[in-house]
Amino acid sequence: MSFSEKGKLSGDDIHLIPLINDLDTGIWKYNFNTKEVKWSTGFYAVLDYQFNEIECSAYTFFEHLLYHGDKPVLLNAINNRLAENAPPLQLRFLTKKNGYRWFETTVRKVDNEHGCIAYGSLININRYKHNDLLSAHNQTGNDDAFKIARLGIWEINAQNTGSIELSKQVYDLFDLQSQLSLSVEEFISFFESPYRPILQNAINHTLNHSRPFDIDLLLRSAKNNMLWLKVKAVPVINHFGKCTAIKGVIQDIDSEKRKLLKLEQSINLLTDQNRRLQNFAYIVSHNLRSHTGNLQFMVNLFEQTETTEEREEIFSHIKTISDSLDLTIEHINEIVKIQTEITKERKVVELEPMFKNICSALKNNIESINARIEGDFTQCREISYIPAYMESILQNLLTNSLKYSHPDRQPIIKCYTLTEGSHIYLIFEDNGLGIDLDRYGDKIFGMYKTFHQNTDAKGIGLFITRNQIEALGGTIKVDSTVNIGTKFTIRLA
Amino acid sequence: MIAKQNPANTWIVDDDSIYVYGLKKLIGMTQVDTLLSHFINGLEAVNALKSIKEDHLLPNIILLDINMPVMDGWEFMNEFAKLKPQMRKNITVYIMSSSLDLNDLLRAKNISEITDYIFKPVRVNHLKEIFDKLPQSYDQQILKYGA
Repeated sequence: MSFSEKGKLSGDDIHLIPLINDLDTGIWKYNFNTKEVKWSTGFYAVLDYQFNEIECSAYTFFEHLLYHGDKPVLLNAINNRLAENAPPLQLRFLTKKNGYRWFETTVRKVDNEHGCIAYGSLININRYKHNDLLSAHNQTGNDDAFKIARLGIWEINAQNTGSIELSKQVYDLFDLQSQLSLSVEEFISFFESPYRPILQNAINHTLNHSRPFDIDLLLRSAKNNMLWLKVKAVPVINHFGKCTAIKGVIQDIDSEKRKLLKLEQSINLLTDQNRRLQNFAYIVSHNLRSHTGNLQFMVNLFEQTETTEEREEIFSHIKTISDSLDLTIEHINEIVKIQTEITKERKVVELEPMFKNICSALKNNIESINARIEGDFTQCREISYIPAYMESILQNLLTNSLKYSHPDRQPIIKCYTLTEGSHIYLIFEDNGLGIDLDRYGDKIFGMYKTFHQNTDAKGIGLFITRNQIEALGGTIKVDSTVNIGTKFTIRLA
Repeated sequence: MIAKQNPANTWIVDDDSIYVYGLKKLIGMTQVDTLLSHFINGLEAVNALKSIKEDHLLPNIILLDINMPVMDGWEFMNEFAKLKPQMRKNITVYIMSSSLDLNDLLRAKNISEITDYIFKPVRVNHLKEIFDKLPQSYDQQILKYGA
């Protein structure tokens, strides 16, 4: 059946019939009272059927062609009063060749002498709907991917560097509401201060020279979370090669970065330990060798010498060598002990009484050069440490200051504690000879490195001190000026 | 060797007094005709080099230790290289060290002013070789370089 067949259009409208039939759009009509159904030729065509190939009936329409899931939507639309400009319905109809397809249909109702009639058009919207669904699917897919990768997008327009466009994920990373609009400056201010100039420079560089960048920066989010982010960007350039915009991504690399930093830290620690071990091996070989070499030397000389007088002299040297050898072995023992003692339990060490004990043990040395010793442990009175280490550290540094005091003035030696954040520092300051650090640098903590022509310099004290401090995870640093004095800063914990 | 009118000059730069004692004795045993001077570190030797006005008082041989306080052997070599162009005497420098460290050996090899690296303790035969290699006499040096 068709409109033309039944000729339901009448009067002036009769000439519209061929036009309607030509359209690639179907028209349907449904009479509520008679249950009579009419379809245009186009109706068949859009569903891939030949004209009259299927029976034109309400039953076919509702039970066969219309997807059962969409039935309530359509029934709802034709049974209820409809707003004048209600949007078209999107429904699925069964086509002859391609299964269910998406169609759009308008629904209009009229009440006249023929009864209550609903009619509407039917347009194939499958392609659009399909794309729609696909893009919605992609969007969810992308959103998920971005979310999982903790990856956000940002963009700066070169014409308007006042503001920065950020994707939702960036706001999430920054712990910000996504409505908030940020200027580039504000955006940069979320990074920790040492990283701000890095980012600013990188952005400027991209704007001015079209240079892409890839940098790791530490963020402090609105909720005070510290987060390592990778900020990457590429320039968008115009035909003249000038940068018109910067497009970039931001990725949360916190856990990877922290692992990397930790790894770097352990590498540094290992490098340090390795260096100390090498130093140790060098010392053992060098010093033992120099003693045994001398011993061999003297024994040979002894054999070649005839006179008793000379032999006695040589023998006295052999005795000295034997003593030195013993001392060196003792030093080596001390160093090995640092490694074994590290497993000993830490105890609370009260610094002031310990320092006083050491001062009284060194009383003779202090009085002989009339040194003034000032100890101030008010900032930190006690610390959990291996007592033997602390004693050794204090004694070595005090001995060091006393040994290298300046002959032209009264030696003043200050020892005090400082707390800064979670760190505890022990400072040792003197007005002694000082040491040329440009020349000797880190060597002063090396073993058997001596710098002054001092007969009792053994070059072992600071080596042991540093080993003890570092063994407990601290650091020691030295500042010194020749003829002014030396300051040791020890981070205990 | 026969004693000459102008004996060679040998400088020992070393802080190890026992070794220096032994070395002096050993040189005595080789019966080499040489004057011996001892400096306990590089700086003392540099100061001596700077203050000497007469060429014949400059050393023919320097036996140099590496590890010394105040100024070690390497720093001495730096200073020595600066002074060398002004000196009208060929001075042979031997490193004499107990260090077996390969780095020390390579470092010495890369300093052109260093003739050789001798491990401590030195043997009599080795000492003799060193002195035999010396230009025959101070007199010949005068001929060579002019007075």
